[in-house]
Amino acid sequence: MNSLIRSYGKGLTGIFVTLTAFWLLLLIILPQAFMLDQSLWSIDKDDQLGMKIDRAYSDLGLLEYDAQQATGDTNPAVQEKIDTLKEEIATLEAQETDPPREYGLQNYTRMSSLHFSIFVKSIFYALAVTVLAFAVCYPVAFTIAKLATPQRAALLMLGLIIPYAINELLRVYAWLMILDYQGVINSLLAWMGVVSFADKTWIPFLEYPGSVFVALIYAYVLFMIFPIYNTVETLDKNQLEAAQDLGGSVFLTHWRVVLPHAKPGIAVGCIMTFMLSVGSYSVPQIMTRGKSGDWFSQLIYRQFFETQNWNVGAAYAFSLVLVCLAFILIMMKVFKVGIRDISK
Amino acid sequence: MSTQSNGPGLSGLILKIYMAVFFVYLFAPLLVMSLAAFNSYEYPSVTQWRGWTLHWFGELAQDDRILQGIVNSVLVALGVVGLSLPLGLSGALILTRLQSRYTNVLYAVLVSPLLIPGIILGISTLIFWGRVDVPGGLFLTVLAQSSFIASYSMLLFMARLQRQDRVLEEAALDLGASSFFMFRRITVPFLAPTLITGAVIGFLQSIENYNTTIFAVGGDWTLVTEIGSRFRFGLSPVINVIGVLFVILTVIAATLYTIQKEREKQRRAALG
Repeated sequence: MNSLIRSYGKGLTGIFVTLTAFWLLLLIILPQAFMLDQSLWSIDKDDQLGMKIDRAYSDLGLLEYDAQQATGDTNPAVQEKIDTLKEEIATLEAQETDPPREYGLQNYTRMSSLHFSIFVKSIFYALAVTVLAFAVCYPVAFTIAKLATPQRAALLMLGLIIPYAINELLRVYAWLMILDYQGVINSLLAWMGVVSFADKTWIPFLEYPGSVFVALIYAYVLFMIFPIYNTVETLDKNQLEAAQDLGGSVFLTHWRVVLPHAKPGIAVGCIMTFMLSVGSYSVPQIMTRGKSGDWFSQLIYRQFFETQNWNVGAAYAFSLVLVCLAFILIMMKVFKVGIRDISK
Repeated sequence: MSTQSNGPGLSGLILKIYMAVFFVYLFAPLLVMSLAAFNSYEYPSVTQWRGWTLHWFGELAQDDRILQGIVNSVLVALGVVGLSLPLGLSGALILTRLQSRYTNVLYAVLVSPLLIPGIILGISTLIFWGRVDVPGGLFLTVLAQSSFIASYSMLLFMARLQRQDRVLEEAALDLGASSFFMFRRITVPFLAPTLITGAVIGFLQSIENYNTTIFAVGGDWTLVTEIGSRFRFGLSPVINVIGVLFVILTVIAATLYTIQKEREKQRRAALG
């Protein structure tokens, strides 16, 4: 900090610290803390509350009528009853406007078995997408980094980036058009006479989780390729040649030379792909269109905007954070990389 | 290794075919999507071909919600760039200069928005600002998106600052420049390329964002959330037209970028 003040003076340093504190507290830590808090309480709504209040009001009306009718000295007993009833109404109304919060883990533990199975399923799907994306991307990253001439590598890079400038939703939508009931693939099959639109014997690709996989890999392929490319690129070509000269097969060369070198990149690529897949709302939303089962991200959306249960929604959201955190820690352990190697 | 660029023999051939298939996988969907924008059929399709038309382009020009969505998206993106660049720069300066045990912790927290799902950022922003009665809307969208786009720009600034030669700054101070003057005349010009890259990346990230925005945007909408809601109601080739416009803009930008790079290379070659 002193070095900062020495260079930029107290005024500018103060501004930097304030801005960073704003970012740290108001955009990162406090929102997460409030989300955690929201997930830890629930309101035990008393369904009878409205009726109780109504009944108390009608009792009150009767008593007040009695009190007015009683000419002369007002009955102190009636007056007392009126007062207690008014107090009761006040507490009931306070409960209605600001119901008491019950803290606990109920939002997590009361996850229905259906929702829990979707939660587990989404994690497995995201893991599968990560493994598949790695298998698809590794040869591409290696080719661009080590085999292509510089000009061709630049061209291939451009070819990778261009689809990325097109909006994620539109890219996924393109796959919807291809895999739809009367989409490109089914139309081709119909043209070949394999399926028939009239008999509705088309292949319902969109009802298989595989179609979401294809679109997810397509949507996030760059996040796997770039980190791996960056690490493979720094590998000395002589090491590859040495491995081959010593008689190493292609497989052995990759297994013993390239992969160990690319570890940090692989870890980062897997972390990004897993995180993006497990938390993707857009891709399953577009690809399934409610026809095959929900993904966990869609469940979370429903809790917020359809069932309006923010407490349960926050608990589901925080569960997702924990899953991502666990995945990051496992990857860091397995690949032996530090936090500084991540997100480079 | 042979002189062939794709490696020797059979494995080289397989790799070549693989790369070709991969790039077909990348580009074929875009082709399908673009083609459907020119089909007269009112449901987006390339197989039910009813003849070429530019009708859907006109339809887009009259679609008020989409046009307003574009305006909203640009407003949000400008807000995000204006907020995330100063935040990212401050974070980067502090992290590169701070020598403390807590530097790594601070670093981890500041990059954490990149490592947790976008929907979480939207949800936590919505809950937190809801407590102080700020409802979802374009303002919250700016805040939610900035939380992670600032992390991107911080990483860019950190990479640049690591290559900074601090001698210049010290010399300026020794010669009696005020720290503010030195910052403006030496640090900022040194960081200028990163400021531009950061602004462009931040702008594009913001325009493209869906997963965070859908939770924070409330009753307002951006271009992307409007597209998202069309998938449920009223899917028409107008969406494909937007796709075509994105493709055209991208190709223009990529071409300009390549030309710019070529020129720079030639200029450098001319300088020797």
